[in-house]
Amino acid sequence: MDHVESPPMKLYVGIWIGLLCIPGVEVFLTYRGFSTHALLALLLILAFIEAGIALLYFMHLKYDRPILLWSFVLSVLFVLLMMNQLWPDAYRMVSLGLR
Amino acid sequence: MIESAATLAHGPGAVMEPSPYGVQSKKLTMWLFIASDAVTFGAILFGYSYLRAGTPEWPQPFHFSPSILNGMVMTAVLLTSSLTMLGAVAAAKAGRKAQCMQWLGATIFLGAVFAALHLREWFHMFDEGWALARNPTGGPVMFGATFFSITGLHLLHVLSGIIALIVIAIGYKTSWLDEGHVETTGLYWHFVDLVWMFVFPLVYLMNAAR
Repeated sequence: MDHVESPPMKLYVGIWIGLLCIPGVEVFLTYRGFSTHALLALLLILAFIEAGIALLYFMHLKYDRPILLWSFVLSVLFVLLMMNQLWPDAYRMVSLGLR
Repeated sequence: MIESAATLAHGPGAVMEPSPYGVQSKKLTMWLFIASDAVTFGAILFGYSYLRAGTPEWPQPFHFSPSILNGMVMTAVLLTSSLTMLGAVAAAKAGRKAQCMQWLGATIFLGAVFAALHLREWFHMFDEGWALARNPTGGPVMFGATFFSITGLHLLHVLSGIIALIVIAIGYKTSWLDEGHVETTGLYWHFVDLVWMFVFPLVYLMNAAR
């Protein structure tokens, strides 16, 4: 097994403070009067940034072998993207009157 | 004969080729679980998003106080519990058992606080007349179904995590489990935190009364 050095707690505390700020920004943006679609896009971008930082540092992917990141994270993202391709088809089926 | 001796000396798997991932099998298994669970949450969040986008007059019942404020506190509590979990893993890896137990205790406490805040939010909504298939404003009932399903599944993960952390803490204290188990459970706990990073903006903020 690989024995990689863990980053110091000081780094984790810095990342934790950064992550605490992101929900604050999200709430701020929520009340700025953006359209629903624009707000959704902004919130999703921030959520992905937040999740990416958590994956890399809190879940240690930055320090593990890169194959772990590529095989697990990319495969999950691929499945989610495929889901996104299939879900809108439900609307087409509704418009066709299929049940 | 040589292989049998090696297996006897080091346990099953000792003569197999090394893992390409370079991690313990329990950690790899946790990653597999996390990937499948991420897809589960992804599916229900996609389902909710399409329902929300496709339903006219979707309700936006969350006022800044108490709901959004409560959600912000819940987010801060869960993020802090991830930090304490990192402390537990670092202490376990360094062999500082007493310190690890303190960090694990703090993580369990923060998890319980999150669950309590979550339930308080739920009961507040029940009092307002929201339920799985009931909308007190007379609009679409799908809001309650999606809200309670998504947050309920997440709450179930938090409660399962608390139970797992208690078991790990007892096991680690009695040397029945090792630091690898603490690290693997930490991965799960961070994942629960990660899911909330999507639930809070998508389910709470997108339904905030603006």
